[in-house]
Amino acid sequence: MKKPIPKWVYVSSGVAGLIGLAALVWRLIVGIKITWLSSSVPWGAWVAFYIYFIGLSAGSFLFSTLIYVFGQKNVEKAGRLALLSAVFALVTGLAFVWMDLGHPWRFLNVFIHWNYTSVLAWESLFYIFYIVIVLLETWLLMRYDLAELRDRSTGWRKSFYQLVAAGTPTPRSSEEKQRLYRRSLRWAAILGAIGIPVAIGVHGGTGAIFAVVKARPYWYSPIFPIIFLVSALVSGAALMTFLYAFLGDRNDPEYKSIVQSLATWFILFLSIDLLLMLAEFLVGYYGGIPDHIKVLDAILFGPYWYVFWFGQMGLAVLVPILIYIFKRDSVFWLAVAGLSGVIGIISVRFNLVIPAFVTPPIPGLEHVFDNHPRLAFSYFPSPGEWVTSIGMIAFVIFLFTLAYGLLPMFEQNNEVGAS
Amino acid sequence: MEVIQEKTQNGSAASEVDVHRREFLKKLGSGVFASLLMPILFKDNFAALADEALAQVDLPELPEPSPEEDPLVRMMRDLQRALKKPLEQRKWTMVIDLRKCVGCHACTVSCIAENKLPPGVMYRPVIEEEVGEYPNVHRRFIPRPCMQCENPPCTPVCPVNATYKRPDGVVVIDYNRCIGCRYCLTACPYNARTFDWGEYYTEDVGFLGLQPYEQVDTMEYGLDWKRPEGRSPVGNARKCHFCLHRIEKGLLPMCVVSCIGRATFFGDANDPDSLVSELIAQPNVMRLKEELGTRPKVYYLM
Repeated sequence: MKKPIPKWVYVSSGVAGLIGLAALVWRLIVGIKITWLSSSVPWGAWVAFYIYFIGLSAGSFLFSTLIYVFGQKNVEKAGRLALLSAVFALVTGLAFVWMDLGHPWRFLNVFIHWNYTSVLAWESLFYIFYIVIVLLETWLLMRYDLAELRDRSTGWRKSFYQLVAAGTPTPRSSEEKQRLYRRSLRWAAILGAIGIPVAIGVHGGTGAIFAVVKARPYWYSPIFPIIFLVSALVSGAALMTFLYAFLGDRNDPEYKSIVQSLATWFILFLSIDLLLMLAEFLVGYYGGIPDHIKVLDAILFGPYWYVFWFGQMGLAVLVPILIYIFKRDSVFWLAVAGLSGVIGIISVRFNLVIPAFVTPPIPGLEHVFDNHPRLAFSYFPSPGEWVTSIGMIAFVIFLFTLAYGLLPMFEQNNEVGAS
Repeated sequence: MEVIQEKTQNGSAASEVDVHRREFLKKLGSGVFASLLMPILFKDNFAALADEALAQVDLPELPEPSPEEDPLVRMMRDLQRALKKPLEQRKWTMVIDLRKCVGCHACTVSCIAENKLPPGVMYRPVIEEEVGEYPNVHRRFIPRPCMQCENPPCTPVCPVNATYKRPDGVVVIDYNRCIGCRYCLTACPYNARTFDWGEYYTEDVGFLGLQPYEQVDTMEYGLDWKRPEGRSPVGNARKCHFCLHRIEKGLLPMCVVSCIGRATFFGDANDPDSLVSELIAQPNVMRLKEELGTRPKVYYLM
């Protein structure tokens, strides 16, 4: 049985989500001047959240392929959660980058005047292709459960299931359902296999948006897209650990071992991520190119040092690893580790984007540009940026809880007879 | 001059038709939908409009050449020669003599006045460097316009082809097409691109309020941009364009004419007789960040 989500989650995310929607409308009316961005730090919190959510999506999706493509049966029950998270995270990421545009209503220009030399233009194609694959795979896995729910429910729920089941016939017996579901799983494996290069394109490509910028030595490195991908896997596995611990069926005898397997994947990805980060810092410091080490210095010892030391090192690395070592038997603590990782990766994303702008590309320019906040080489997100960001995230959590409540998130074999 | 006015009037008449059509669609109750379809419904014709508006007529009359003439007059003569050639045979080039720059910032200010630049937008800052230790210090000034690279890193990253290099080498931005993603700002190794945040210097200044000089349309690329109405270039990337609207009419860029030390030179590097061609052949010439392969068309004399 699916565990219902506590009421307070609905209420708090719903209220915060409404504030977020109002803030979004306000941003669209007033314009991008509600941010504290400048011409020297042109990308800030919204872009950091954009790559965060794209990474969360690609990570969750790639995690689902472990199950549906590579047959990791021990975590299969988290499969649909992973796919649904992938859908919601991608849409959130796109909402953030859309909100960040100076002319949001011109976004279709990306498809009309598509520029093949722009990584960003390629990415917009990838996002479309990717969301189609993920939605299709999610639907394939849920369709027979949706058909049964359609037959069982009444009122608006029936209309909803009628819509999303899209004419899927109801299986006549539980044997037939098993057979049909196995067929769906085969298709999911094929879609998942196609989805792997696409998801790598989605997030490796998002990393490449930055990595191709030769003007910024911190970004301009082949390891950059790889770090994007690996930290995407970290955030995806962390999210699955947290969500499954929070939402999984506690009476299931496998419940605890599933959470532990998820946590193991999380820690494995985290270790690889840590290694890559170490390489990035050591090679950067050894090279000693001023524009490069100024950025690394800013990350470690700059005005926002705590984003690295508390967020990136503390929440995303130390807390999960310590919990994994000492509190591995407690599902509660593993959930805390997952949540800590999910939040900590936000700091990683902020540090991937913003520090690249703190060092003037031409030395001495800061003496001119720092005289006006809209030109300055410094940045902190404005209250408007915080409200829109947190509000939009709350809104997505609200929608996610609604979808979780309505959709068959886990296999419902034992319920077939009852219908 | 009448010809130009007629042409710009045609341009504004066309945009009036656009406004009517948009009003009509709004009446249908889908303003958002309409603006999404804007680029499809209405011909995207920045390049054509700009070419039309910039079409040269009546170049200024210049005195007979003389050995004592101001370099500005010589450069205007060079300019007129270049304008007689087809677009693709011109190679607009700027030379800045750092030994003559006194750091007065007149170029920065005149550029702001010429292009009505708002807060956050600056096409030509003057970098100031202090050399040595107090009290034995010298100051060094480096004006930094857009380098108008031969191989610009900013244009290939644009997802919508809104910024491109013209045949005469000037890198321009189609304000009507730019979506304001600011990818080009990050890609420029010279920080030469800035963003129009839609602000005004005087909007928050006490009882005086927004000053009329900030409410004038900007005429970049020879077109009438209704910025005070909150339209483009608000929300767009903006950059130095060598004052295309001036050079196409036979006038030198504003930073060149306002330079009190005659430290900034401008002309056609494809013309061996031009002043800039003479200057960039000197041994003491330098370009910024050549190692990136950008091949700037702004040269510095040291």
